[in-house]
Amino acid sequence: MLGKGGKRKFDEHEDGLEGKVVSPTDGPSKVSYTLQRQTIFNISLMKLYNHRPLTEPSLQKTVLINNMLRRIQEELKQEGSLRPMFVAASQPADPLSDNFREAQPAFSHLASPPLLPADFVSTMPLESCLTPASLLEDDTFCTSPAVQHDGPTKPPPPALQPVKDSFSSALDEIEELCPAPTSAEAVAAESAADDSKAQPGESNIHKPEGLPESRTAESKLMDPLPGNFEITASTGFLTDLTLDDILFADIDTSMYDFDPCTSATGAASKMAPVSADELLKTLAPYSSQPVTPNQPFKMDLTELDHIMEVLVGS
Amino acid sequence: FLGAGGGNDIQWCFSQVKGAVDDDVAEADIISTVEFNHSGELLATGDKGGRVVIFQQEQENKTQSHSRGEYNVYSTFQSHEPEFDYLKSLEIEEKINKIRWLPQKNAAQFLLSTNDKTIKLWKISERDKRPEGYNLKEEDGRYRDPTTVTTLRVPVFRPMDLMVEASPRRIFANAHTYHINSISINSDYETYLSADDLRINLWHLEITDRSFNIVDIKPANMEELTEVITAAEFHPNSCSTFVYSSSKGTIRLCDMRASALCDRHSKLFEEPEDPSNRSFFSEIISSISDVKFSHSGRYMMTRDYLSVKIWDLNMENRPVETYQVHEYLRSKLCSLYENDCIFDKFECCWNGSDRQVEFSLIVMTGSYNNFFRMFDRNTKRDITLEASRENNKPRTVLKPRKVCASGKRKKDEISVDSLDFNKKILHTAWHPKENIIAVATTNNLYIFQDKMN
Repeated sequence: MLGKGGKRKFDEHEDGLEGKVVSPTDGPSKVSYTLQRQTIFNISLMKLYNHRPLTEPSLQKTVLINNMLRRIQEELKQEGSLRPMFVAASQPADPLSDNFREAQPAFSHLASPPLLPADFVSTMPLESCLTPASLLEDDTFCTSPAVQHDGPTKPPPPALQPVKDSFSSALDEIEELCPAPTSAEAVAAESAADDSKAQPGESNIHKPEGLPESRTAESKLMDPLPGNFEITASTGFLTDLTLDDILFADIDTSMYDFDPCTSATGAASKMAPVSADELLKTLAPYSSQPVTPNQPFKMDLTELDHIMEVLVGS
Repeated sequence: FLGAGGGNDIQWCFSQVKGAVDDDVAEADIISTVEFNHSGELLATGDKGGRVVIFQQEQENKTQSHSRGEYNVYSTFQSHEPEFDYLKSLEIEEKINKIRWLPQKNAAQFLLSTNDKTIKLWKISERDKRPEGYNLKEEDGRYRDPTTVTTLRVPVFRPMDLMVEASPRRIFANAHTYHINSISINSDYETYLSADDLRINLWHLEITDRSFNIVDIKPANMEELTEVITAAEFHPNSCSTFVYSSSKGTIRLCDMRASALCDRHSKLFEEPEDPSNRSFFSEIISSISDVKFSHSGRYMMTRDYLSVKIWDLNMENRPVETYQVHEYLRSKLCSLYENDCIFDKFECCWNGSDRQVEFSLIVMTGSYNNFFRMFDRNTKRDITLEASRENNKPRTVLKPRKVCASGKRKKDEISVDSLDFNKKILHTAWHPKENIIAVATTNNLYIFQDKMN
């Protein structure tokens, strides 16, 4: 069982942190309610971002977890809480977790949900998903064989977008998937984006006790949840990232810029190899200690590589 | 017919168990669906490895009147293979999500099987004779020298060892972006629906290159997605009516005559939330994992995480009956959320009925620790049984089990904390006419029968 913070009696309050929820307005039980809520929030984040299945994650599960997170966020908003939520330090065997813990204060404002790289890479225009076989024939760049099927198929009747060139569709996807936040959040996003060129999109961060956070940091966490509904390649942000992966991968850091305006160009630009050192330098101003680039990069880089290859036909 | 409220509760006995004995479960052997055909003679299972295994009931032995025929393997075939979606860089699982039988029209049997993306129509046919005595061919198939042929004869069919062949007759592909969770054959026996997380499509069994979208709940902006389709089924009698359930605990009944795209429901079934039971997990546990019409079509049954609800199609605002499957889990929801068990999709089924009149009186569903539950709508009694090899003495009545929620545990009771959450019974099926049930544990299939006297 998790997160047992408050003292609990056996019978009446056996539920403790489970089961029935005490109203948040009750005095002494407010702590346990808040604790429970925080635990669930952490668990939910971990579920969304720790998962790297080889197959598509269940959309139902993703939606339910997302709804959970949204509800909690709403509650927090209404309570006007200034304490952002952080993941409990329960990530095992994470070589970089120590660094993250130390770098935490600076990273908190970068804590907006990791969105783009994995998203964009793994999505495709939805309507065309319905007829992958026949569409693939028309695409000039596409190297993948007709997926699975015997015989051509016609798209089912529902509203179809005009068939676009897959490249521009992919670009649209990137733009689409840039957070379309509310205006308040957009401001926060902009400021965060300006602050950090390389967006680690880290959601699993460790919280030092009692650290006060700025309103900006708070609203960063209030950013729209990624939805990740288009994510097929999972966002395994805490998977085994080693420095080697960073060093030997081509990185175009503009991809990780949250600014919607630059994402299109980011996609189109040729990827320039960036050494890990350069990455570190960009991150350095935001932490007092040198910090290893975030793990999201690993997943995203591979995916990015793959899709870029496909796009430019290399 | 089973004791229709006559005070005779069914006494379930172990009959058979199929599958590997060892505790080490091979992933591919995990059973993912179980379904009797319309006569009950055939029992199909699908597994995570994409295979379908069909068992056939032995013809009843008149002398052995105390037991019904045993089920033995009839046919095994690979229905789906794993595939790779190159654009998304993801595997498409070969796991069989659902099997649905077509009613038998001729000597062959037909079933639909589906994985996440593709539905296939399989023909299972028997061959027990073969032609012999060709004029131009030898028995082994080599051609005879025509000059040696001096007489003519008519080839005749001679018996041979029974061969059961399965061949894919139709492949319905490329119509689902999201994962298919349900297929349901219409009462017209010509069309069927397939449902994924966001869309429901209508197919004609003969036509594979075209399907019609009849429900689409995908929002324009996927960021706004908060609800998905979890199950769908055609009405047993009305060929233009179907229902689909959602992750928010609602069921929508749609009439295809109303419009081509049934985005507007004819009826919306939803029970208002019980404020005393509210928790963080209210929405998740309200997500419906299965929906099944009763035989008459007047009622439908839904399964959510903790309960089974019976709905009268004429009453939308609440179910007529609610049965708690494992209420003792309500206080463990946080742990079950953490270990993902809260997302387990339990199915439910009605008792068999040899009439179309409303004899849907008993419902069955699975739980954890290899327990399964039955609720008698008439007597309001319920029973918990266990599918375990320890109980495998045929004709011995299964002992009812009991879970102790809290407090002092009585002898023979199991405490909630001792439950094995890896041993889950998600799939159960009831013979359409007799008191025979098939219960799937992780990788074993148990068959129980009532004690005949």
